[in-house]
Amino acid sequence: MNGLSGLLLKLWRSYSTGLAVLVVGFVLSLLTPNFLRPENLLNVLGNASIVGIVGLGMTLAIAAGMFDLSVGSTAAFAACITLSMVPQYGVLLSVLAGVAVGALIGLINGLIITELRVPAFIATMSMMAIARGSALIYTDGRDVYLFGYPDYKVLTRPLWGILPMPVVLVLAILLVLALVMAHTRFGRYILAVGSNLSAARRSGLRSSLVTWGVFAVVGATAALTGLIVSAQVLTANARLNVGLELSAIAVVVVGGTSLTGGRASLVGTLLGSLLVTIINNGLNLLNVPIFYQQLTVGVLLLGALAISVGPDFNPMTYLRRQG
Amino acid sequence: MSVSGSISQPLLRARGISRRFPGVLALDNVDFDVHPGEVHALVGENGAGKSTLINILAGVYQPSGGVLEVSGRPTVLPNPASAQQAGINVIFQEFNLVPDLSVAENVFLNREPTRGLWIDWASMYRRTVEIVELLEIDLNPKTAVCNLPVAQQQLVEIARALAFDAQVVVMDEPTAALSEVEIDRLLQLVRSLANRGVGVIYVSHKLGEVFGVADRITVLRDGKRILTAPCAELTEEQVVSAMVGRELVHTECPTRHPGDVVLSVRDLASGQAVSNVCFDLRAGEVLGLAGLMGSGCSAVLETLFGLRGMTSGQVTLDGQLLLIHGPRSAIGAGIGYVPDDRKRAGILPDLSVMHNITIGVLERIRRGVLIDQRQEQDIMDNYGKKLSIRCRSASQMVSGLSGGNQQKVIVARALAQDCRVFLLAEPTRGVDVGAKAEMYKLIDMLLEAGMAVLLQSSELPELIRLADRCIVFAGGRPCGELARGELTQPAVMALATGAAIGQVDFKFLKPDSRAQEAVCQEEV
Repeated sequence: MNGLSGLLLKLWRSYSTGLAVLVVGFVLSLLTPNFLRPENLLNVLGNASIVGIVGLGMTLAIAAGMFDLSVGSTAAFAACITLSMVPQYGVLLSVLAGVAVGALIGLINGLIITELRVPAFIATMSMMAIARGSALIYTDGRDVYLFGYPDYKVLTRPLWGILPMPVVLVLAILLVLALVMAHTRFGRYILAVGSNLSAARRSGLRSSLVTWGVFAVVGATAALTGLIVSAQVLTANARLNVGLELSAIAVVVVGGTSLTGGRASLVGTLLGSLLVTIINNGLNLLNVPIFYQQLTVGVLLLGALAISVGPDFNPMTYLRRQG
Repeated sequence: MSVSGSISQPLLRARGISRRFPGVLALDNVDFDVHPGEVHALVGENGAGKSTLINILAGVYQPSGGVLEVSGRPTVLPNPASAQQAGINVIFQEFNLVPDLSVAENVFLNREPTRGLWIDWASMYRRTVEIVELLEIDLNPKTAVCNLPVAQQQLVEIARALAFDAQVVVMDEPTAALSEVEIDRLLQLVRSLANRGVGVIYVSHKLGEVFGVADRITVLRDGKRILTAPCAELTEEQVVSAMVGRELVHTECPTRHPGDVVLSVRDLASGQAVSNVCFDLRAGEVLGLAGLMGSGCSAVLETLFGLRGMTSGQVTLDGQLLLIHGPRSAIGAGIGYVPDDRKRAGILPDLSVMHNITIGVLERIRRGVLIDQRQEQDIMDNYGKKLSIRCRSASQMVSGLSGGNQQKVIVARALAQDCRVFLLAEPTRGVDVGAKAEMYKLIDMLLEAGMAVLLQSSELPELIRLADRCIVFAGGRPCGELARGELTQPAVMALATGAAIGQVDFKFLKPDSRAQEAVCQEEV
């Protein structure tokens, strides 16, 4: 592709999600004055960051040509463990333990995939049930409350009085993962494995190591998301974050990372989570019942998939075909 | 020679066809026609416009200018279905078959004979058998297509074309995935189609085949028609220079000076696939492996590279006994592999040219946990220049490169990994004439640098051009070795098919003798 159409294609790929965020934001600011109020915008940023954190992890999995369907269950299990640990071990250690549990669950996912040769889809679907079941057993089906430990709120409290902690966390993770993807072997190997697994193996890559690493990262980000959600209400239970896998995959796809693997758009994923969150926020502000929000995510995902099928989607030919 | 079509009206004629894509004129005022009973070959390098022309004839693309005439009447083919209705059937390189359905179901796909609401299975099978008998081929209508070898899948496509009462059959690189014997049979079938009055458009860049089967040849280059002439009035050299637009220097194999034994293989076996393999490979030498599909020669390469388990045998490299568990340990020992299917097993399509080359050496060029970008760029510059890889920039996606350049990228990857023994499987499959010559030069260059090459190829001329000696395989075992002087097409084929020289006639049916010839017979 060359000249103008190539340039347009490039611009479209890089900026379509950001453009959508601006358009939806503009429309909402016309429809409801509450949208542009600073509290609301901070609220949107915070919520976008929560799904954005697990979305960043999921971006790596999808770039490697795989999925993780167990993120919601992992988040719930990690949150239950962390909250039950806080009274005895304090906040820092418990949070680290929770993230480590998430990474461990991810590692197990990876091991199931590479050692038992189970497709990622099936392996993580099983883990979805296993982790959720483990959380139920661990909590005996009850809620884990953490009243009297306001320290745990550090995960949601604004840093320096302005930026919500989730935003700080998601930006930090973005920086680290962007560095990993662009400048380390691990990042390069993820793209290689996702682009063409047989070719990657024939180049001497140990694809198993890549799979383990990817799923450990996804598990850790899922756990962190679970911890933040539990910190908002100082409660955790085994039913936390049901359906998180859908949102996580949705923000990655809406953000422009191709499901065929081999490419990763981390910034796109954050823009995707911003778009999904803004839409849900708008529906809230416009008093649309909450049930419609789930439906919106589904439609958005479908739309994003329909216009980005395959890596070579070109809006110019798409338009021409219509004309 | 008499071309039956010269008096008759062409079945299909393209007049002044042009096709513009954004920024490219893929076809520029091209004339092309095919007469009943004629095989008209369409040749040209990749990107010459062959596939664009075929796609226009198939109703997939619309011409930007010019007229198509079917039996003398101007016709518009808005979609593939209308092309089929007009009697034009295209057999694409990537088959349009449904793998899980049977032969008969595929032949009658979308036009199943029905009785009321139900499919009339009896008549479907009966009519399939009729077509199969007409073609004098051996095909069970009830076998699922996915259980058939590629050559037979091709026959299903041809049977389907006949079931459509196709008047014009277009075949796009029909022999790309076939072995020598299968090609022979296919070409006979093409002749017999033409004898039935069908006009065949035969697209290929294997000139040997083209001269064996075609009545006329049209050469395209850069979207323009360069020449159209009866086969008998052309030489292979003329066609090649028309294709590449310059006189191709005839690359003779330079004299080689093999050094010490590098790789030594004793009693190598891998399950049922291959056994009893013994050879010594010297530095600066090419050892060819020839054989039909499934004869075990590609299994030798796969075993040496650790893609297949070695069930017995010993492999030593520079006197060191090797234990090969997988590609990683093979590469570690200095063995590089260039797979026959570069799309499936070679390139990393979403990565840049540079990242494709350096993917195997990142462990070496690190600075702490980061990749040393300076060194990475050096490797790219070094091999990009050495192998003259043509790309816009090091950061161009490798999928945008031509087949020949992608192949060089894969060789560069192995070179960067310090490989000294190269296992080349079909190194020039699907690359055009010019790129092929470059690949041969590249192999000569590797040899001069003291590398050793194990070459598996189904193209005998390639083996003859490159190999110092050649082991011929049949039925999973080596069945003979031919030295450079003995390396001829009949000699190789005789060993490969297990027949004595002279019993099998390997010449394709020449157009002028085709009338008397019987249609193909079953072979081994």
